[in-house]
Amino acid sequence: MLADELFLIAWDTTGSGKPRLHVQGIALGLAGALLAELVMRGRVAVQDSLVKVTDGRAVDERVSDRVLTDMAESPQHTDVRTWLAYLAQRSVTEVSGRLIREGRLEREAPKLLKRRTSRYYSPDFGHAMWPRTRLHMALVRGQPLAAHDMALAVLVDSCGMTEIVVDDPAERKIARRYLTTVLAALPRPLSDLGRHVNAAVGDAVLTYRS
Amino acid sequence: MLTRESGGPGHGPDRIAGALAANRLGAPSVVYFVMSAAAPLTVVAGVLPTAIAATGITGLPIAFIAIGLVLALFSVGYVAMARHMANAGAFYTYISRGLGRPAGVPAAWVAILAYNGLAVGAFFMLGVQTSALLEGWLGAAIPWWAFALLAWAVVAALGVLRVDVNGKLLAVLLTAEVAIILLFNLGDLINPSPAGLTLETLSPGLLFTEGVAPLIVIATLGFVGFEAAVVFSEESREPRRTVPLATYASVAIIAGLYALSAWALSVATGPANLVAAAQKDGPEMIFVLGGAHFGGVVVDIARVLFITSLLAACISFHNTIARYLFALGRERIIPDAFGRTSLRTGAPRTASIAQSTLALVVILAVWLLGADPIQAFFVGGATGGAGVLLLLFVTAVAVIAFFAREPGGESLWHRLIAPVPAALILAVMAFIAFTNFEALLGVPEGDPLAMIIPIVYAAVAVIGVVWALILRSTQPGVYALVGMGAKAATAKESAR
Repeated sequence: MLADELFLIAWDTTGSGKPRLHVQGIALGLAGALLAELVMRGRVAVQDSLVKVTDGRAVDERVSDRVLTDMAESPQHTDVRTWLAYLAQRSVTEVSGRLIREGRLEREAPKLLKRRTSRYYSPDFGHAMWPRTRLHMALVRGQPLAAHDMALAVLVDSCGMTEIVVDDPAERKIARRYLTTVLAALPRPLSDLGRHVNAAVGDAVLTYRS
Repeated sequence: MLTRESGGPGHGPDRIAGALAANRLGAPSVVYFVMSAAAPLTVVAGVLPTAIAATGITGLPIAFIAIGLVLALFSVGYVAMARHMANAGAFYTYISRGLGRPAGVPAAWVAILAYNGLAVGAFFMLGVQTSALLEGWLGAAIPWWAFALLAWAVVAALGVLRVDVNGKLLAVLLTAEVAIILLFNLGDLINPSPAGLTLETLSPGLLFTEGVAPLIVIATLGFVGFEAAVVFSEESREPRRTVPLATYASVAIIAGLYALSAWALSVATGPANLVAAAQKDGPEMIFVLGGAHFGGVVVDIARVLFITSLLAACISFHNTIARYLFALGRERIIPDAFGRTSLRTGAPRTASIAQSTLALVVILAVWLLGADPIQAFFVGGATGGAGVLLLLFVTAVAVIAFFAREPGGESLWHRLIAPVPAALILAVMAFIAFTNFEALLGVPEGDPLAMIIPIVYAAVAVIGVVWALILRSTQPGVYALVGMGAKAATAKESAR
C-alpha cells in the first residue's frame, strides 16, 4: 500500500525507530497517501483543489474504508486541504496500525514524559528498506516507474523527503532532473494532490507557533 | 481556504469541522501570540526612555492613542481583505494582490529590512541590560557584546532546531510582564511629581508640532506585531470573527497599555523634567522610578523580565523574518533553497541561518567599531518602525485598490469609508517620518546616518521593482507566484 511505503521511508524503522522527517510533514504526507490510494482505486476523484467520492463501495481494507466512509458522510467538504488537515490528525496512527496488524511493524510506546512520538521498529529489514531502495535506484538510474511508484515519488517529494531517498548529494541533481520528468508525466489527480500536500507542509511552516 | 460550512443537507453537527476546530485557535490565543511577539516590556522599559532621551519628545501618550485609532481604522480594510486572500501571510502578499507584483516584490524586501532592524536592535539592548543586571549582582563588569552574542547563539540555535519554547511559559512571562508594567505605572501615578496628575502629555496639540516625526515612528514601532493576527486565518476557529476580533483587541490593548505607561512616566517625573530624566537614566529610567517606589526585589524581577522580554522579541522577529524568506523561497523569487526546511525539525533552515548571519555581522560591526549599543538599539528600532510605517501606508492603498476591483461581499465601510482616510493619514505619517530622519534618530542636521537609512530603503525598493520586472520578462512562471507563499506549489503552471 502507498501509505505504508511512505511510512517506511519517513520513519527510520530499521535503526533508531525515530522519524526521519518532522512529524507534521509525515502526517500530511500520509494523509495525501491515504487519499491517493483511494484515487488509484477509482473511489475518489481529485481535480484542482476539489475532492469527492465517486464510488462509495468499500475496498475491504479497514483504514481506507474509514476514510471513504468519512468522506461519503460529509460531502459538503470538498476542499482537498480540508481533508488533508483532517486526515493528518490520525494518519500516523492509522497507517502504523495497519502495518502493525500485518506484522510489519512494532511500536514502542513513549516512555513517560520523555518523548511525544512513539518509536517504530520493523521486524523485517528487507521489507522496511525496499520502498526507499527501489525508489532510489529508479530515480538515480532513470528507470521507468510504475504508476504506484510514480505516486510514491510525488508524495515523497511533496513532503520534502527527496533528500532522504537520495541521500548522496552528488546524485541529487540527476535524481531531481529525472523526478521532474516523472512528475510531468503524472496523471493530473495525483499531481494536484501532490501540490496540495506540498502547500500544506509549507503553510505549516508559515503558521508555526513558537 | 478551508471550507467550514457546518452541517450538510440532512446531516447532524459537522464532525469534520468539529475535529478540525478542536486544534484551532480562539481570539484570546491569537491575541496572546500577537502580544508576546510585541514584547510589551521591551517597548515600555527599552523603547520609551531611549526614544525620549534621543529625540526629546514628550507626547508619546497621546501619540499611542492617536496611532492606535489610525491602525484600528486601517485594520477595518486589512482584516476585510484577509477574508479574500488564500495566503493572508504578510504585508507584501496584500500589496502584490492589490497593487500588482512589481509592488509586491519591493514590499517584501522593505519588510525584511524593517523587521531586521527590530530583530537585530533588540540584541543590543539585551546585551546592555544583562551586563548591567549581572554587574549589580556579581560586581564584575562583563561587556554587553558577550551577552548579545550569547543571546544571538540561543536565537540562532532555536531558529534552526525549532525547539518548542513552551507556549505556556511564554504566556506566563507575558502575563508577568504586563503585571509588572501595571504595577510600575501605579507606583508612578500614586507618587506624582510636584506637577501632579497632569494631562499635559495627553494633549492632542503635541501631535501638531515640529517634533511629531519621532512620535509617529516610535508609536508605530510599539504596535509592530498586530499585523500578525491574520497569519492565523486558517488556524483560527472562525476566521471571519476570530481574526478581526484579535486584531482590534491587540491594537486596543497595545494603545491602552503603552499610552498609560508613557503617561505614568511623565507624571512621575513631571512633563518638564521628563526628557532630562530619560537622558540621565536611559533604559534604567523605569527601574530607577520603580526602585524608589517598590524596592530592590521588585526591580530585580522587572529587570529579569525585561531581559526575557527582549529575548522573546529577538526570537519572534527572527521567526518572522525566517518565515518571510521561506515564503519567498517557496515562490522561488529568491533561490528555492530558502524554501527548504530542516528534515528533522521542519524549521526553515536556510532562511533562519541567513537571518542569523546578518544579525551576527551587525553585532560584530557595532562591537568592533566601538559604537554605542543603546544608540544601535534605538537606530534599529527607529529604522524598523519607519519601514513598517511605509508598509502600512502601501498596504492601505493596496486594500483600496483591491476592493475597487473586487468589491464582492464587503460593505462600503470595509471597502472605502474606513480605508481611504486610513491611507491618507498613513501617507502623511510616512511622508513626515521619511523627510525628518534627523529628528527621528535624534542626530544633528546632516548626520550621514539620517541620509543612509532612507537611501537604503529607496535602493531596496528600486531593486525590488527591477527584480520583479526582470522576473516578469525572463521567468513568467515564477513571476506568477509572487505573493502566493507556500501555496505557490498549487499554481497550475508549475515553474519547476
